[in-house]
Amino acid sequence: MDSTKRPSSYLDKRFDRLRDQDYSSLNQQNKSSRALKKLQSNRLAVIGIIFSLTIILSSIFAPLITKYDPQKVDLRSMLKPPSSEHILGTDKIGRDVFARIIYGGRISILVGLGSALGAALIGVSIGAYTAYRGGWWDSIFLRISEIFMAFPQIILVLLLVSVLGQSLMNLIIIFVITGWGGLYRMTRAQVLSLREEEYVQALRAFGLSRARICFKHILPNALGPIMVNITLSTAMFILEEAALSFLGLGVPLNIPTWGNILNVAQDLRVLQNYWWVWLPSGITISLFVLAINFVGDGLRDSTDPTLQG
Amino acid sequence: MIIMEKDNEIILSVKDLKTYIYVNNRCNRAVDGVSFNVHKGKTLGIVGESGCGKSITASSIMQLLPKLSRIESGEIVYHKDDEAIRIDLLERNGKPMRDLRGADISMIFQDPMTALNPVYTIGSQIKENLLYHTSMDKKSMTKKTIEMLEKMGIPLPHQRAEEYPHQFSGGMRQRAMIAMAMSCNPKILIADEPTTALDVTIQAQIFELMQKLKEEHQTAIILITHDMGVIAELADDVAVMYMGSIVEIGNVHEVLRKPAHPYTKALLESIPILGKGKKQNIEPIRGATPDPYQRPKGCQFLPRCDYASNQCEQFPLDQQITNSHSVKCWKSNEVLSHA
Amino acid sequence: MMLVISFIIYLGLELTPGDAVSRMLPPDATINMKAEELEKIRESLGLNEPFIVRYFLWLGGVLQGDFGYSLASGVPIKDIVLDRLPATLELSITALILSSILGVLFGSISALKRGTVTDIIFTIFGMLGVSVPVFIFGLIALVIFALNLGWLPVGQRILPGYDSYWDHMPHLIMPAGVLALMLTAGVMRYSRSSMLDSLNKEYIRTARSKGIPEWRVNFVHGLRVALIPIVVLIGFRLPMLIGGAVIIEQVFQWPGVGELFVFNVRSQNYPLVMMIAFFSVLAVLLASFFIDLFTAILDPRIKLE
Repeated sequence: MDSTKRPSSYLDKRFDRLRDQDYSSLNQQNKSSRALKKLQSNRLAVIGIIFSLTIILSSIFAPLITKYDPQKVDLRSMLKPPSSEHILGTDKIGRDVFARIIYGGRISILVGLGSALGAALIGVSIGAYTAYRGGWWDSIFLRISEIFMAFPQIILVLLLVSVLGQSLMNLIIIFVITGWGGLYRMTRAQVLSLREEEYVQALRAFGLSRARICFKHILPNALGPIMVNITLSTAMFILEEAALSFLGLGVPLNIPTWGNILNVAQDLRVLQNYWWVWLPSGITISLFVLAINFVGDGLRDSTDPTLQG
Repeated sequence: MIIMEKDNEIILSVKDLKTYIYVNNRCNRAVDGVSFNVHKGKTLGIVGESGCGKSITASSIMQLLPKLSRIESGEIVYHKDDEAIRIDLLERNGKPMRDLRGADISMIFQDPMTALNPVYTIGSQIKENLLYHTSMDKKSMTKKTIEMLEKMGIPLPHQRAEEYPHQFSGGMRQRAMIAMAMSCNPKILIADEPTTALDVTIQAQIFELMQKLKEEHQTAIILITHDMGVIAELADDVAVMYMGSIVEIGNVHEVLRKPAHPYTKALLESIPILGKGKKQNIEPIRGATPDPYQRPKGCQFLPRCDYASNQCEQFPLDQQITNSHSVKCWKSNEVLSHA
Repeated sequence: MMLVISFIIYLGLELTPGDAVSRMLPPDATINMKAEELEKIRESLGLNEPFIVRYFLWLGGVLQGDFGYSLASGVPIKDIVLDRLPATLELSITALILSSILGVLFGSISALKRGTVTDIIFTIFGMLGVSVPVFIFGLIALVIFALNLGWLPVGQRILPGYDSYWDHMPHLIMPAGVLALMLTAGVMRYSRSSMLDSLNKEYIRTARSKGIPEWRVNFVHGLRVALIPIVVLIGFRLPMLIGGAVIIEQVFQWPGVGELFVFNVRSQNYPLVMMIAFFSVLAVLLASFFIDLFTAILDPRIKLE
């Protein structure tokens, strides 16, 4: 065998190893290693879950983590840089930045998750039921969703904010109103395809009511992509809340959220000289959203049947 | 296994080719020691079930293997004029190999709808072949393209050359692909299940076309199929493949009339023949093809073979039946006597 | 569909606080009028007619280019918006072109070098681009490039007297760059997956079997077909471009329609806000139309109607 003259590639070593492994029939390992491999490829998702859970938990247990009250004004220590007393320093009116971020997480996550779940609730129920019923119902709601989705989301949100006024509850409601369309469309697509499956015909022949078939039998099968969408929507809403609050048009400024903290960055002096006031919040948002995106991607990979093991 | 036919030039010889596929971190010995010769102006049919390795063999010759696979060992020798080119030693996408592809050795594929690029016209796809293998100018290339389309029996070739694949019918698409493959007058044409995706009536037309090419240009054809009927129609020689090895090879008349391998025999018995009437004895082959990762020891056909014995646990060696017929089976004599 | 939207916008206009007259006429015309005169004006403007009639009167005005007047300044809305439009177009189109080219390039390279370090780096960049809020990028860029290093001006668009696109360039680099950064991440992800899909198809094998060089197989055949779904997906993300522009204009004080919108939301200048929203929908629909056209050009299987 004149294999010395054969063209080589970087894959050769790996191939040789696999071939020799095969010769000594080490095939038994493969069943368990398959499951392991799947977990390994979802390493990012695992990191994502750990990270986001850490942030969520620290927000919930905020009082245990920091002794400072995020609202407490202390005019004697304004704009102090990070120190052993204040891990991330203080802001313009002496509030502890670290505390504000930890407590701010509560609202930001609440808004993000709450809006995502709210939009999902509405979008999925309407999507599932009207898609299943078909006909008149379906067309109407499709049209309605098209109208909502014709507006760039931020524009619609700001429009509603200007009309309805700023408050925490309002913001969540506005997010749900502008966001239900996406989940509606997706659920609709899923239900439409599942509707024609044989087991649905069988259930109908048994005389089950439409609502029952729709929600108890069809919906669970469509759940995979919906979960992925909810996860990714949460990320999107958190980013939106941050952007709006940064502009001062999101959650009212007296309630700390990650975005609100960033509001001060509009002042160029603060931006340049007092980086600890705004940058940590920005980093926190980024990391949290990144973590959620990892989880979402991981969910998508595991629920997608077309990807090989 | 070498077939002795003194009068015919050998244009391609494959010796003990082994190609392994490394997907999913496993080693699949898809082609495990295959040898045959291809003669100028003759058709070699390679027949076998799905997964037996016939397509991989073809891909190996063209060095069009998937990324996670390689030619392990063996020789593929292309006899060009006076030289002998060792294809297996060439860089997969290096210039020498690419010069051969399309110009000396061409390939046509199973489904012309997916095998042709949907966003380019047929004409431009044919011209692409000419662009890289000839030094023709634009005008001559256009002329040649139209000429090729016409030769392949496509009406209104000047119009058709400017059209897109989706505007052609199935049979015409296949003709267009053949036109593309033949545009540089290759010495060898590899046809990988060329008619599987087509209607039976169109099949006949394509075969006629291929026969014509053989006669007019002395093109050697390697025809890959799972259909024995196609072999009977077109092939001069046939190689029967099973689980990565050629179990029987020889002149098509000899092999089909007097099969010497249990698998070949079983294959022939499982096909209904038009005209033979209701009382034909059609027998499906018992068992199923083994998992390529859990191969039986020795002869791969052992678990499904009616002639099996203990000896078969040793991989069979070549048995020469006649000058133009050899088989890999310990029991070939028994098989022949039952014919 | 536009009709329904226009109806909704009109509904919004009617329902929000603010007198219809001040919406429809410049304030200086009515400022010193007495009650009866105002009443006559209301009659002539058809403001005492039923809702539907008023809607159609408004619609008629819109189609002729009369968009009403801003509550705050009394300047015709049309003028205000048109004045700001070029700035936003400059920003958005630059960012769009930049991100499309870079996104497709990075994405396809990522696909070709799948699994290698290059791919991993690009993918990380992609994930960051989608996760970090766009204004954070903007703020960081501001701090580093403008405030600390002083290389680029701190926002705004023009110096008096310099008015061509190229004069705007120093001011444009950061906002367009940051916006493009965010968009590139998204485009890159689709490009990568679309390219991987395309490279898996049969025609790639056929192309190779003709002995043409690898670069040609990958780009002339692979990428060219992958472009079709990429363009469609870019089209779906156009509303995000608008959204991003709104934010970026704020960060960099870029005097475009987005900044106008935010300012007027804050000051509750409803007519202006409503009309800008209306225009944004129009813009999205127009852009979708162009995307469809572009797709039809790229894909010969689609018949132009």
